[in-house]
Amino acid sequence: MSFFARFAQNRGALVGLIILLLIIAMAILAPLLFPESPWRMVQRPFLPPLSQDGFPLGTDTMGRNVASGLMHGAWVSLLIGLVSTSVALLIGVPLGAIAGYYGGIIDDILMRFTEFFQTIPNFALAIVLVAIMQPSITSIVLAIAIVSWPPVARLVRAEFMSLRNREYVEAARLVGQSNSTIILRQILPNTLSPIIVLASLMVATAILLESALSFLGLGDPNVMSWGYMIGAARTVIRQAWWLSFFPGVAILLTVLALNLVGEGLDDALNPKLSRER
Amino acid sequence: MKKPLALAISAAAFAFTSAAMADDPKEGGVVNTIIQPEPPGLVLGMVQNAPTRTVSGNIYEGLLRYTTDLEPMPQLAESWEVSEDGRTYTFHLREGVTWHDGEAFTADDVVFSADVFHRELNPSARAVLQHVESIEATDDHTVVFTLKQPFGPFLLSFEAGTFTMVPEHLYAGTDFRDNEHNDHPIGTGPFKFSNWERGTVIELVKNDDYYEEGLPYLDGVNWHIIPDGASRAVAFENETIDVLPSGTVENFDIPRLAEMDNVCMTEEGHEYFSPFAMLWMNNREGPTADKRFRQAVMYAMDREFAKDVLWNGLGNVPLSAFGSNARFQNDDLEPYDHNPERARELLDEMGYDGEEITILPLPYGETWTRWAEAVQQNLREVGINVETQATDVGGWNQRLGDWDYDLAFTYLYQYGDPALGISRTYLSDNIAKGSPWNNVEGYENERVDELFNEAATAFPDEEREKLYREVQEILHEDVPVGWLMELGFPTLYRCDVQNLVTSGVGVNDGFKDAWLDR
Amino acid sequence: MVYARLILMRLFKAVIVLFLIVIFNFLLIQLAPGDPAAILAGEAGAADQEFLNQLRERFGLDQPMYVQLWHYVSGIAMLDFGYSYRLGVPVFDLIMDRLPATLLLTGTAFVLSLVLGIVAGSMAAARVKKPSGSLIMALALVFYATPLFWVALMSVVVFSVYLGWLPAYGLYTVGAGHTGFALVLDVAKHLVLPATTLALFFMAIYTRMTRTSMLDAAQQDYVKTARAKGLKPSIIQRRHVLRNALLPIITLAGLQAGQMVGGAILTETVFAWPGIGRLMFEALQQRDYNLLLGIFFFSAALVIVFNIITDLVYSLADPRIKKGAA
Repeated sequence: MSFFARFAQNRGALVGLIILLLIIAMAILAPLLFPESPWRMVQRPFLPPLSQDGFPLGTDTMGRNVASGLMHGAWVSLLIGLVSTSVALLIGVPLGAIAGYYGGIIDDILMRFTEFFQTIPNFALAIVLVAIMQPSITSIVLAIAIVSWPPVARLVRAEFMSLRNREYVEAARLVGQSNSTIILRQILPNTLSPIIVLASLMVATAILLESALSFLGLGDPNVMSWGYMIGAARTVIRQAWWLSFFPGVAILLTVLALNLVGEGLDDALNPKLSRER
Repeated sequence: MKKPLALAISAAAFAFTSAAMADDPKEGGVVNTIIQPEPPGLVLGMVQNAPTRTVSGNIYEGLLRYTTDLEPMPQLAESWEVSEDGRTYTFHLREGVTWHDGEAFTADDVVFSADVFHRELNPSARAVLQHVESIEATDDHTVVFTLKQPFGPFLLSFEAGTFTMVPEHLYAGTDFRDNEHNDHPIGTGPFKFSNWERGTVIELVKNDDYYEEGLPYLDGVNWHIIPDGASRAVAFENETIDVLPSGTVENFDIPRLAEMDNVCMTEEGHEYFSPFAMLWMNNREGPTADKRFRQAVMYAMDREFAKDVLWNGLGNVPLSAFGSNARFQNDDLEPYDHNPERARELLDEMGYDGEEITILPLPYGETWTRWAEAVQQNLREVGINVETQATDVGGWNQRLGDWDYDLAFTYLYQYGDPALGISRTYLSDNIAKGSPWNNVEGYENERVDELFNEAATAFPDEEREKLYREVQEILHEDVPVGWLMELGFPTLYRCDVQNLVTSGVGVNDGFKDAWLDR
Repeated sequence: MVYARLILMRLFKAVIVLFLIVIFNFLLIQLAPGDPAAILAGEAGAADQEFLNQLRERFGLDQPMYVQLWHYVSGIAMLDFGYSYRLGVPVFDLIMDRLPATLLLTGTAFVLSLVLGIVAGSMAAARVKKPSGSLIMALALVFYATPLFWVALMSVVVFSVYLGWLPAYGLYTVGAGHTGFALVLDVAKHLVLPATTLALFFMAIYTRMTRTSMLDAAQQDYVKTARAKGLKPSIIQRRHVLRNALLPIITLAGLQAGQMVGGAILTETVFAWPGIGRLMFEALQQRDYNLLLGIFFFSAALVIVFNIITDLVYSLADPRIKKGAA
């Protein structure tokens, strides 16, 4: 069965994929449907949804178009999710590979290092990091990457440990390939599948983390993200519940979609022996 | 949104007039109010933070109090005289005043507080003491201050927070900050410190031996600590809390709360402080160093919009550097109305090339964050390329202290007299790294320095007026900083708390005269 | 006794890790711009250099970094967590004041998520081909994907603002002066929304994990053997399947328990719950170094303790794990 066929067998994954494509479409279409900056104060504040043409989701505390913010926010969330996951991978994969391949003392030290990071409460560390670097897209991406890499390292290490004794690796060594070549050319390609699955889940987590940070007021102030919108709406939740509602639904759907797609990828890339679903 | 507020304000006005003709004050009852954030300490003078002033202004007293027009009223000083040449101030202290621990209050306490205690601990006091040559207790109930030259605002400096009267018999000769009595403040005020449960409540009880007959009417005041703005609003709504001092609820909640039954609102009670919001503009480098750019910024901002949307129509758009509560305001100047066209003209004139500048919001809550967003939009619309940089309080302090900013929000107290609160922003010898409260923008103008310095010690008032008028004209043209808003800080309270605001500092010492109509 | 030696080894390593965490956090926090003196001075609205110097000297901030670090670390070794600069109260007292509220919240959420998660997961496993089973799993997925702070806000809107059933904020009704049983009831009412929203995420995880584990385990050999022996299906479920299914759950539960002190920042913020999470956030904003470090220390200590407990429970539950292998 081809990759796509296996993926499509998981109906949930298909649903997830469709939702994800819709979100991406939202991000791309935003500048077309709402060419003006979502920060522009264009109407009376606190307009409820569907009360005025052009403002299907109403306006916020400053009279800004909620629908515009929602669509422009899609781009922000996806971008931050992808970039921070990539950075986390850039940290975690090499560390895990080296630990898993060489074993021994190197493994010990690297694992203590990883454990160390896992002992400090995730979110608290992220907050401190953003406070130190002062909130901006860069600092958020870095903070998320720094608290997210340990599971990557553990996974890659486990994979490397199980693969390093395979025959093709032995063969490569006999032929005289250097360690780095073996790591990069022989073993790593075989670990890609679980890494990809993990990565899709990490993007979801990264989006949740970013929205939580923005909610607390630690987001980049030039960027209207969904988390920011919910945070800004917190003080007026009695007057304008819709300001928190729609961005939250957007986050929920995106994270849900990513999780479903991740499961689909898992099925497609790591076909397991048949079992009850 | 304006109509219900107008209703609320007229309801408040009605409540005031009816209180004036009201029945006799009733004794008894405890008022529950809020203090936000929790003060770091309660010994006023040692700590000068706003929350401390609010709570401890009821425990401690100064020599004088001030009306909402900033006229001095007697407090610990019963009467006073100023010499012809304006250099000698003689205060006659009230007799029969005792500290909360029973000891008598005498002139020695005054000398100790002003000359020793505050000189060591209190920067605002130090600024005033610079003008003082000597402080002497000529007998148990008379104190004479001799100044080096006349200092117009001297009489305005005796509010409880600047020269708090602290007990000499407990503090003299000790290490003030480690003094054991810091945990249980002893003052002369209408209320005594009773209990402080950290994170929960500060309890004050009536001083039965207070020197003013019949006062205070209340049995006690409880200051609750509720860290979350929404919770504070809820507590007020379900009548757990009777008084919401200004700044304790988000502006967005005020219209809704003010419309409730039995809720009154007043804007009075801040005249002494005259909070004034400004926009620091870095005069040293970048496009902001050019005065045309700064003028363009003033024209670009829609300050009325901010007032209506963010401050519920409360407060006042300032004309220039002097707020309307400040003495000697020059109101003949051309206002900087919202005029994006003019802003663009000025930018063209100076050849602004689109260089990016940064703006630093004040990290003190949602209103300020929204305001920065609004100003950013205003500036973008006239072609100024501006990016917001978020900081928390620590970061904001640091960057301003290091002059690492282009535009930055702030607000200061003007303290009524230009020599007390306004000149510090513009004097060139007040330029020093490390503080967000001095001449942060780096403005240097010899004539302005001359005028301010002369006017501080000029005598009589007519002389000062002339000098201040001229300095305002110069400042209005140079725009060293942006003048954003004279902040309206409303106090919300249950209408049956009568007579709450009787001075220019509002609830800070207002509970002395307040009574509960229940 | 092998266990005793195991525990001692772990504790020893734990102390080293804690020590390193303390140093790391100390250095990390110093990187944040501004210091507590500047912030206090800032709030005073007027400050001169003398004032700042006085404060810095008092807080010991004028000394070189290594001196400050040494003071702090040697203090910690004596379990002296220092003073909160801002409040002038020992850090230990402040933490102990707020810790119960957090533990109440996260403890309740922990128990709730574990119990409900396992029950839901078992139900889903039993109804694996039926629509009700799919419904449970769909709900689990949605709860997993929902941002915590958003569902907290929405629950406030629905249950507090519109329906008025439950209080929105705080630990108890301020100024109502409840005592005894009335107080317990009051706190319980305030606990419902925060604990439930905090529990949702992990509840979803336990549900999915339980279901997967039980489905997997049901196919193992020993189950077939038990069936062949003629044991009732329910007994098979409970005694054999569930026991083995619980192992990965124990691991995760240990992880969640360890996060009990550090993990409730968002919930505590939205619901104005007076716990450690908020205290930490405030301490960070005010650069109250000692307080912040103290909280980190407690959080890390708890994580380590629960890691050790989890390993112990795991090895007790799984008869296949040799006691010597650690």
